[in-house]
Amino acid sequence: MHNSLYSTVLFVGLLTTTLLTSPLVSAKGVYQSGPDFVTEVFAPHQPAAKVLWLTDDIRQQAEKILDRPLAGLRVRYHQYAGKTAWILDEIGKEMPITIGVVIDQHSIASVKILAYRESRGGEVRYPAYMAQYQGASLTERYKLNKSIDGITGATLSVWAVNKVTALALYYHTQVSPLAEPTVQSGK
Amino acid sequence: MKSTKSIKLNIIWHRRLGLSVFLVLIFLAISGFALNHSPALKLNKISLSNSWLLSWYGFEKPAINGFKLADKWLYQDGNSQLFLDQKAVAPCSTPLLSGVKHGDALYALCADSLLILTENGQLIESFSQLDGLPINAQAITAVEGSLYLITDTAPLAFNPDSLALTPEPKVYQTLLAPQLTLTPIPNSLEQQLENSGPSISLETVILDLHSGRFFGQFGVLVIDIVGLLICILSITGLMAWINRLRQIKQ
Repeated sequence: MHNSLYSTVLFVGLLTTTLLTSPLVSAKGVYQSGPDFVTEVFAPHQPAAKVLWLTDDIRQQAEKILDRPLAGLRVRYHQYAGKTAWILDEIGKEMPITIGVVIDQHSIASVKILAYRESRGGEVRYPAYMAQYQGASLTERYKLNKSIDGITGATLSVWAVNKVTALALYYHTQVSPLAEPTVQSGK
Repeated sequence: MKSTKSIKLNIIWHRRLGLSVFLVLIFLAISGFALNHSPALKLNKISLSNSWLLSWYGFEKPAINGFKLADKWLYQDGNSQLFLDQKAVAPCSTPLLSGVKHGDALYALCADSLLILTENGQLIESFSQLDGLPINAQAITAVEGSLYLITDTAPLAFNPDSLALTPEPKVYQTLLAPQLTLTPIPNSLEQQLENSGPSISLETVILDLHSGRFFGQFGVLVIDIVGLLICILSITGLMAWINRLRQIKQ
C-alpha cells in the first residue's frame, strides 16, 4: 500500500519536473539583450553607438558574403580602442539568429548567440563551439581563415554564424581602415 | 433461368443508375486525376482569395487601417508586410501600432520593433526589443521637432541617430493625445491588396469538392451515396453482361 502511494507520488513529481523544465531544454530563447552584450564587452567603458552607412560598394560585398540581398541602409556598432562589437541577424533555416561578434585588431575576439529562434540547431550557442572562432580573420576571398568544425543537425545555423562572423570582420575593415593588415592572405 | 422481365429490369436500373451518377463520376475522375498529380500541376501553389470562397470557409477579410504620413499611406496587409502606398517596404510580423513622419524619415512602430524608413519607403534601420526598444511601447509621435516614444508608463524622448531613449516627463501632457490614429486606407489601395491576407490553395478546394466536405456533412453523405451507387452500377453492369452471354448461348 505504502509502496504504491510512494510510486504514485514519485511518478507525479517526475512528470511535473519534466513539464516545468522542458522549456529550458528547448533551443529557442533570448540569452542576452544587445545593450547588455555591449556593456559586457566594453566594461568598464561605455562607448556610444556608431553607424556604418552601407554604400553601394559595401552593400555589394556584404551581399556576396551573405549570399542574399541585404535589408537596411545602415548598421550600428560600438567601438573602443581598436575593438568593435556588431550585433547582426542571419536566418538559419527559417528564423533569424541574432549574433554578437567582437572584433579586436581585425580578428575575432568572441562570438555569442544573443537570440536563437529556430526549434533545432541551438547547439551553436555552446561556448566550446563558439571558441573555434577566436582569432579567426578574413581571407582575400572574404572567408574565415580558420576551419570551423560543424555540428551534426545544426548545419544551417553553423553556416549562418560563419557568414555573420565574416561579415562582421568585413564591416570592421570598413570602420578601421588605418589598422594593418586589413585583409590577410587566404590559405 | 432468369425471366426476361428480371433481365429487362436489371438493364433499366443499370441505365437509371448510370444516368444519375455519370456527371458526378466524371467530376470525381477528373478531380482525382488532378489530386494525384497535384505536385506536378502545382495546385498547392495556386492561392484563391475570392471573398465568396473565403466567407464560405469561414475566413473574414479584416479591414485594413493605416496612417497617412504627409501624402503617403503607411499600413500593414494581412500577411505581416508593411506597405507605403503600393510598395511593400519591410516585414512587420506584429501589429502596426503607430506611424509618424519626422524630418526626411518615416517611423513605423510595430509591436516588437521600430522601423526607420526613407521617404520612399527604403528601410534604413530596424530597432528591436533586443536592441533596447521597450516592450510596452505604444506609439511614436513628433512634438515640436522632437520624436517621442510613448509607453504605458512614461513618454521617452527618442534620438533617431543614436537610438537613445531618455525619460521626458515635462512634455507628458502634450503627448497624451496621439497626433495620428489608425484610419481605414482608401479603397484604391485596398483593392490592390486583393491577393493579400487569408487564402486557400486550389488543392484544398479540389480535395474538399472531391470528398464532398466542401458542402459540409451533406456533401460527404452525397459522395457516400454516389460511391454506393457506383458499386451497384458495376454489379448491374456485370449481371447485364452475364445475361447477354447466356442469351447468345441459347
